[in-house]
Amino acid sequence: MSGCCGKNNNIKEIDPCNPPNAGLSGLTGTDGSSVCELLVWFHEMVDHCYEYACAEKKKGRKLVGIMCEYTPRELIMAAGAIPVCLCGGSVEMIPAAEHDLPANLCPLIKSTYGYSVEKANPFMEMADLLVAETTCDGKKKMYELLAKRHPMHVLELPQKPNNPEAFEYWLYELRMLKKQLSERFRVKITDEAIRSAIVEMNTERRLRRDLAELMKSDSPPLTGRELLDMKSLISCLPVDLEQYEKALNTLPGRKILPKPDQRVRVLLTGVPLPHGAERVMDVIEGNGGLVVCQENCTGIKPVLEDVDPDAEDPLRALAKKYFHLPCSVMTENKGRLDSIRKLAGEYRAGCVIELIWQACITYDVESFHVRRLVEDEIHLPYLRIETDYSPSDSARIATRVQALFETVKHRIKR
Amino acid sequence: MIYAGIDAGSRTVKAILLDGKELRVLASGIADQGIKQADLAESLLKDILKKAGINRKDVGKIIATGYGRNAIDFADTTITEITCHACGVHHWIPQARTVVDIGGQDSKVLRLEPDGGVRDFVMNDRCAAGTGRFLEVVAAKLEVSLNDLGGMAQRAKKASAISSMCVVFAETEIIGLLASGETPENIVAGVQMSITSRITSMAGRNITDPVVFTGGVALIPGMDKALESAINHKIIISPEPQMTGALGAAILAGREGLEHVSIIG
Repeated sequence: MSGCCGKNNNIKEIDPCNPPNAGLSGLTGTDGSSVCELLVWFHEMVDHCYEYACAEKKKGRKLVGIMCEYTPRELIMAAGAIPVCLCGGSVEMIPAAEHDLPANLCPLIKSTYGYSVEKANPFMEMADLLVAETTCDGKKKMYELLAKRHPMHVLELPQKPNNPEAFEYWLYELRMLKKQLSERFRVKITDEAIRSAIVEMNTERRLRRDLAELMKSDSPPLTGRELLDMKSLISCLPVDLEQYEKALNTLPGRKILPKPDQRVRVLLTGVPLPHGAERVMDVIEGNGGLVVCQENCTGIKPVLEDVDPDAEDPLRALAKKYFHLPCSVMTENKGRLDSIRKLAGEYRAGCVIELIWQACITYDVESFHVRRLVEDEIHLPYLRIETDYSPSDSARIATRVQALFETVKHRIKR
Repeated sequence: MIYAGIDAGSRTVKAILLDGKELRVLASGIADQGIKQADLAESLLKDILKKAGINRKDVGKIIATGYGRNAIDFADTTITEITCHACGVHHWIPQARTVVDIGGQDSKVLRLEPDGGVRDFVMNDRCAAGTGRFLEVVAAKLEVSLNDLGGMAQRAKKASAISSMCVVFAETEIIGLLASGETPENIVAGVQMSITSRITSMAGRNITDPVVFTGGVALIPGMDKALESAINHKIIISPEPQMTGALGAAILAGREGLEHVSIIG
């Protein structure tokens, strides 16, 4: 499957209950039919999002593309619009992007832009507005090019998380986003609407948190890949929320193969794995690992903190939650280290693997602190993988991962 | 019981027969790598069995390692070269705490636990910068043999600056340097420096003595001195530096496998 594109229908040709390559495709377990249906459902996530977006667009609803977890989806939802994640995960989009962008740039940025050049992401083509968050320099400058093709609002993210003035500026930026949405879509965004969007998003966050917590078990009922696949491009699809509930009821007790007690529990941290870019996760889980926790933006990071729907000023409450996200663009980003420390304990990780997309300067530099924390303080083996979307180094990554797991087993044996 | 270790590297295949009880090497061999890795390894194994006068059916277990390990279909199991090098070096030099391995296609730095386990490791990424392949390309370009490189570097007046880390671009750079009148000696010294500085940045500041040098590149005269001055630590060249991976594999074949360790702690 090549990426977040509704035109790509080959996902349907794979029978997830009988995967061609057990252990890599993730859907490996002794399932009752209800669990099986559930996993098929999330396997077709892009299609569901596409159908939903098309149907709602016909009814006159607006679609707003976002490219970072800092954007409060609640504001977009309160404007009656649908937020959709446009982060590119397809290696196939990169050559087109490199006509305009340098080769030595993060693959996520290039892929996202390449989708626009190729007009291959139907969500991006349908979007009435893109919210462009200035999280990192690469994205910020890419947006200037993307803005030539799509209506765009730039959301500036201040980068000193403990500075009260920086926070006030962030709040101002959210007010500007609210104003933009309100004027562009000719809609009044009431506090009530924001509160109800907060309640909805809190529900989704709670469900995704609870699902992630199933991995705390000695015998997790899911693979990390299966959990990753449950993240939707569009948040709060009513049918998805139902499936999350169902998953929480039916998954406990499910047995996955290979058995969890034969696999090394991995805490995966670092950059997100957008739809189509799950390769490293598959390499880890195909070589004896089980990703029990993902401390990244496609994992548990954005759903760890809720928003108080009854706060006096709901916009301020939103600003607070999102400003707390511990991304490596922040300086200093102590929150991420605290989070890794806590999650490694809660999920009983046997090692920490940090994934860095090539040319992602902030995560790359920050890996210095993460390695120190993991090796010297948490005392777990640590492996840093720097790669892009091209599969050419999969065998080399597999060797490193296997060596890491051999080290973990050697330590346990001792 | 007799155990065999096979290290299918990118440039050469190595095999070792080990007496499991006394941990004594009974026979070893090395052959150039080729397309049919399994066949090459098989005939190498046959050769050393013959050399040692041992019957194939007396070999208890075979472990394959190295980048081609998964192609060795007659091996009982595989273990990565990282774990195997650590184990092999620990056997020969038990006090070793750091291993610098420079092979044909990759280079790695391992830090060892006192018991020979791997504490942590770093490996080069996608390209062959700082590896034996790099030296081969340079030697070919300068029309000298690999064994001449050490002496040439010693005769250098100063090391040329080789800015490119990529084997392919470095070749172009060398052509440019030769054209501008730079001596081959200075170029070789520059190449050595670029390799060792690559290892230095990979190793970081956490180098613990004693440092042991393994891999085919350890056999090239002068590389140990170049590495020594780059990392500022004394370097011990491992006995039979090309064989440590195969040796580790054979030793691990004799131990109870890691595959049965339960992970839930």
